[in-house]
Amino acid sequence: MTRLIPAALVLFLLPALILTAGPAAATEKMVGVVYKIELAADGTSADVTVLDNKTDEKIHVLVDDDLTLDKFKDHRIVIDDEVRVKYDVEGDKKHATYFRKTAGC
Amino acid sequence: MQNRAISTITALAGLLSSLALPPAPRAADASAPADTAALAQKVEDLEHDVERLKKKSLGSWLEVGGDYRFRVDSLRADVAGHADAMEFVNNMTTDLVSRQDPDEIARFMLTQDRAAQMDKLFSYFPGAMATNITAPQAAFGGFSMIDALAGMPADQVTGMLQMTSLTSQQAAILGSLLTPEVFGGVMANLTPADQATLMSIMGDPDKAQLFQQLVAQGLLGGGEGSYAVPRGDQKVKNNTLYTNRFAIDLKAKPLQGITVHARLLMYKTFGSGDDQAVTGNYFADRVGVFDGTLGHVPSSDFLSVDQAYVTWSNIADLPVWFSVGRRPSTGGSPSHVRDNREPPGNGGVPSLLVDYAFDGMTLGAAPDFDSLPGFYTKICYGRGFESGFDRDDDDNIEDTDMIGVALVPVDIAPLRIDFQWNRGMNIFDFPVMQDTVFGDTAPSVNLGDIDWFGVGVLSHFRDAGLTGFANYGLSITHPNDKVSFNAGNQGLLTGDFFAPENPEDKTGWAVYLGGRYDVKATGTSIGAEWNHGSKNWITFAPAADDAWTAKLGTRGNVYEVYLIQDLNLKPMSSYFARAFFRIGYQYYDFDYTGSNNWVGAPKKISELEDTDLALLAPIEMAQNIYASFEVHF
Repeated sequence: MTRLIPAALVLFLLPALILTAGPAAATEKMVGVVYKIELAADGTSADVTVLDNKTDEKIHVLVDDDLTLDKFKDHRIVIDDEVRVKYDVEGDKKHATYFRKTAGC
Repeated sequence: MQNRAISTITALAGLLSSLALPPAPRAADASAPADTAALAQKVEDLEHDVERLKKKSLGSWLEVGGDYRFRVDSLRADVAGHADAMEFVNNMTTDLVSRQDPDEIARFMLTQDRAAQMDKLFSYFPGAMATNITAPQAAFGGFSMIDALAGMPADQVTGMLQMTSLTSQQAAILGSLLTPEVFGGVMANLTPADQATLMSIMGDPDKAQLFQQLVAQGLLGGGEGSYAVPRGDQKVKNNTLYTNRFAIDLKAKPLQGITVHARLLMYKTFGSGDDQAVTGNYFADRVGVFDGTLGHVPSSDFLSVDQAYVTWSNIADLPVWFSVGRRPSTGGSPSHVRDNREPPGNGGVPSLLVDYAFDGMTLGAAPDFDSLPGFYTKICYGRGFESGFDRDDDDNIEDTDMIGVALVPVDIAPLRIDFQWNRGMNIFDFPVMQDTVFGDTAPSVNLGDIDWFGVGVLSHFRDAGLTGFANYGLSITHPNDKVSFNAGNQGLLTGDFFAPENPEDKTGWAVYLGGRYDVKATGTSIGAEWNHGSKNWITFAPAADDAWTAKLGTRGNVYEVYLIQDLNLKPMSSYFARAFFRIGYQYYDFDYTGSNNWVGAPKKISELEDTDLALLAPIEMAQNIYASFEVHF
């Protein structure tokens, strides 16, 4: 048992440490609560308002990846869900590159 | 009266139209800035009030959901011929009591209340008594052919050797009874003349062998006077078993980053307030209801706490979480496909390896990794049995713990891949159960450790309505040198009843395949599943939602088909509210004994003898036709 726990920790922490390291440069990130989801009529994008947990500021992000759009469509992500978002600022638009419910259970 | 009503309606219409229509331009606009300021103030006040109400409303921090299920099961099974070990022990002790042997009776009465529990084996240490004292004394003490055997001619001895040949179990039991200690005790109880005769018999190898065979046959042979009573092939059935299951799910967010989950669960049979209708001596996971299966095997109308845990997310602004409590370690992926539930997310467990209501904790991380969408990993720990205080003057039972590491490199709708390793430590022989066919049980010994490895792939193609999965599991047992007296001296996947064997690691494997097709237009889903477990396969899934036994623990094959018909009604309470009917059919084809039981070595069912002693009746085939009506809210 005493040898197993450190071994298990190493097994768990190694990939976690490797993969949490080195976030992409020039990318903003935030954790917040989904305030509004406006799906485009053609279903290829969505304008999502997220209430930043830290600043209470409403951030508008453009989501256009199919996996996340599918989650909006079948309600796996809905208003009041807490999400972790990464986005690139492109002119006056914030283009989401990562949009997921915060992990944890 | 009518005029008054008309005038009231007219007045109301006028009032409404004055509110709906834009106000007429006023002669003097000097007061406009003041009005605008007042309106702005009103809007601000309203926003403030809305915010205040939102903060005070339950809906802003508490979600309530749940489900209800009515289900009917129609159960049938074929039991292979065997001899009930409980009946064997009972016959033996009854015979000893009837002989009024004061010493034997005293020993039994000191260790338990035999008068009150004549049909119960599992109380204190009667198992040890039976194997170490009672059985040998009954076997050798009851032997009355010493003189005849001493004078038997050689050709007759040869003939009788063939006539009384032993089964493998009988030979093994005889070997375990013929220890020097036991034999010495038997000799001490004989008269000097009988001792001399017996010694002369033991000097002749053939006669010595025949003596042993006759002793074993007298005890176990199934003939007249034998304590083992052969039971031929039998059929068991329950045409209609109705059950009610009701659950309330609560999810509270009292603080940013903190979530408290609870699931309260009631599961009972129609017309019964206990588990007697669904438990028995067929499978180890359905002998009784215990901590890990509470709420998952029908028992009572009590609303028990199936889950209660708190999760701290976004620790240090990282995608890391810590969660502790009574865990969501039941109904894991991919069992949600058959059960028509939402995927369990990153709190779940692989259902092929674990389905047990654990109290434990998890530390997890879900870093963003472009090439591995949905990646997460976690380390889990659970306590399966808490042994309480250790005492210096006692042979203490250790706590039973499980530790596991999950690695899910990809978790998106079209593809989910998972790897899992678990280790169960200090595995107990029997859980704490009350009023079972074996009486009240409790862990009496730690039998060793078990390692599990698993890998699974799950694909869901939303537009096509197709879901498919494949899972593979490996179990490796590491028995120590201890055996369970209460289980007739069997160890961790080792030994037979009254016939222990040397501990050795055993490896088992299992595969689980399934698919489902959803017809969106009609809300119909059809699915099929198959799983196979090898001879030494053992899982940790007693809380699985199967009436006979956890199908994923089967040493053999299980086939299942089902149809789900959604009522396609408009959801009211949540997006995931639904009501549906489900009908299904399960067919179990058991190759080896002891599915879902880690005590004792598996035996090929087709090779069982009618005189083979078995604690659990060896079911060789089982069927279940089931139907349910379920509402998730």
